Amino acid sequence: MAGQGPSRRELLEALGLASAASLFAGFCRWNYAFGEGSAQHGHSQHPVRLAYRLQFFSTDQYRTVEVLAELILPAAHSSAHTVQPGAKEAGVAEFIDFMVFSDPALQGPFRDGLRWLDQASAPANAFRNLPPAVQTAILERLAYKANYREEEKPGQEFFRLIRKYTVTGFYTTRIGLESLDYPGLTFYGTSPGCTHDGNPEHLGL
Amino acid sequence: MATYDVIVIGTGAGGGMAIKVLCEAGLKVCALNAGRQVDPAKDFRMHRMPYDMKFRGLNSPARRAQSVGYMDNEYVAPDAWEHEIAYSTAEGTSWTWPRSNLVGGKTNFWGRSAARMGEIDFKAASRDGYDVDWPVTYEEIAPYYTRVEEMIGVASTVQNRPSNPDGSYLPPIRFRCMDYILEAGAKKSGVPYLPDRMAQLTQAFAGHPPCHYCGNCTEGCDVGAFFSSPYFFLPLAQATGNLELRTNAIAREILVDSDGRAKGVAYVDRKTRQEVEVYAKAVVAAASCISTAQIMLNSRSSRWPTGIANSSGQVGRNLCDHLYGTSAYGYLPQLLGQPSFPDNVSNGTVAWLPRWQNLDNPSEEKFIRGYSMYPGGGCDEFPSYYDEIEGFGASYKAAIKRIYPTPVSFTVQAPTQRSDKNYVDIDPEKKDTFGTPQVRIHFAWDENTLMMWEHSKQVCEDLFHKMGGEYQGHGDPESPGWSLHETGTCRMGNDPKQFVTNRFGQTHDVPNLYVCDASVLLNCTDKTTTLSLLAFALRTSEYIVQQFKAGTHTSEAPAAG
Repeated sequence: MAGQGPSRRELLEALGLASAASLFAGFCRWNYAFGEGSAQHGHSQHPVRLAYRLQFFSTDQYRTVEVLAELILPAAHSSAHTVQPGAKEAGVAEFIDFMVFSDPALQGPFRDGLRWLDQASAPANAFRNLPPAVQTAILERLAYKANYREEEKPGQEFFRLIRKYTVTGFYTTRIGLESLDYPGLTFYGTSPGCTHDGNPEHLGL
Repeated sequence: MATYDVIVIGTGAGGGMAIKVLCEAGLKVCALNAGRQVDPAKDFRMHRMPYDMKFRGLNSPARRAQSVGYMDNEYVAPDAWEHEIAYSTAEGTSWTWPRSNLVGGKTNFWGRSAARMGEIDFKAASRDGYDVDWPVTYEEIAPYYTRVEEMIGVASTVQNRPSNPDGSYLPPIRFRCMDYILEAGAKKSGVPYLPDRMAQLTQAFAGHPPCHYCGNCTEGCDVGAFFSSPYFFLPLAQATGNLELRTNAIAREILVDSDGRAKGVAYVDRKTRQEVEVYAKAVVAAASCISTAQIMLNSRSSRWPTGIANSSGQVGRNLCDHLYGTSAYGYLPQLLGQPSFPDNVSNGTVAWLPRWQNLDNPSEEKFIRGYSMYPGGGCDEFPSYYDEIEGFGASYKAAIKRIYPTPVSFTVQAPTQRSDKNYVDIDPEKKDTFGTPQVRIHFAWDENTLMMWEHSKQVCEDLFHKMGGEYQGHGDPESPGWSLHETGTCRMGNDPKQFVTNRFGQTHDVPNLYVCDASVLLNCTDKTTTLSLLAFALRTSEYIVQQFKAGTHTSEAPAAG
């Protein structure tokens, strides 16, 4: 049998990759973008962060991508002392740079989308330089159907594209998976089962 | 030139079984495998995280463009799945064909669901008038199922369902929170919800270690905690000293003597691209359903002008497959915000919804026969529902986490029925890179199967309401071939005019040619195919041993050269 196992397949499907002839962009891995060598068999090593050299984006484009990614998946201050890292800390912009570099089919949409954002949304200023509140207000028009404007269709499409790559870049890192308390690749002696005895419908948890 | 008792083409489930049984009986076996030896330490990367992989598990664009399905990913060796041997599809046919030609074939990566077929399947034609009965009774095959279960280890429970004979089982994989919620909903909907039959070792078994529940079985297992031919069969065969395994040996043609009996196999060495001939007293074709038909159809001689053992014209005909598709997906509000739980430690099919349609009355539904379903969901490696949520920012991130334990979906497994329109033949024009005429696939879903698909969508939507879930929608059927459950190209039956093999898997035309894979199964039923093809292959293999003991296969080897 094939196809029932949802695990890694879901990742592929979510990105439209499940079929044979997908045109999806290449991915670098979080460690890989900083140099080869830590992809050993068995459990992963802690990634070592080295300086990242841009492969596709200009410095300005890259800064915009970094701002966008952090707006989509920001660091969260759960208390005065604890910060849950966001897209920037997880290296999402670097990841997107490598992916776009790897796949010519993505390069046009990203270039055009970033240009659209600068020109159509902030004619007097580049998006990356706007105050956060203004940036957020622009994204709110692109992110929520209720706020859609007919003439901003290219911006809406670009938002969806960069959100997809941000989510993918984030939740395929250690930081992202830890933010979900990802319970996989943990070894068990017996199959872990439900512990809510006497509440099969799981009401009122 | 070496001569063997038997040449076995293929080392997967059926071939592996034949190799094991024949070698243990003292016969000298030459096994031909179309790909290289498998090396679990290098080929299977199931314990890596996405960030350990160069392309985060998604492959380079180049590899992705040639991927044959979700299992053909960055977590397995690039050549674990076949990309070199081309095939054709007829106009209007789309066919996904994941072939693994590593030693052990698809058993290295299979889904492990292992339910028995039953009398309701073997005698389906008598019940509803469509097609023909199988040439065997359940009673006849049951002991072989039991022995296969005792060889491979299957985890499940005794369920007393009319369509699903029970077997000999290891303790089942435990239900998770979602299973209890789904089970309660299924009860209200009047559909069964039970532990699946999983060939996954819930305890140490027959010298094999228990599962460690890493959850990535379809990327291979480095300890052999589920059945695969290289872990369970081939070492036993090797230990007898009777096996010669030739790798990268792509069988092209079964050779015949002047009487039209099998005398050997011609194969192409993948490395040297040279054709090599090997001789034996008997040949077992176990190359998998479509490849077996291709080899037989390409084995033309003056005695067998349309392919060996094809006087019936049925080799390659009657191709059946399972329609797979997501009949419904949504989420369980009961589990919103709950702590993460290892829901996917068995790589999916903890539970199943075994066939419940047309049981007492074979025509109670608009369609004949029936289908099964498999639920999936829970905390996954990736929050694939991310695009269902609007917005961005802290609230978006929090929503992804809150929804994380809740997604649920149902996959339908709906069989096609025999049809003259679904078959394989040889492409009259195209040859593959090794110069072998390509197999050509003709296939479309039939109306009966599509009615099952529609039915399953309605059942699942209702189920979502009954279990207190939020229904969000359904998918589309996957491409034919996706299930890897193709059957029927060498159907077994008593009449030599209508069937390729007899009920022992021996071809009617050529008594020293046997078939040991899913091509002998008359159709795919609502069950998975591996357990059944193992049971039939065991029976065929022991029948071959009897023939040797009786002195039936004694043809002299041809003179060297």
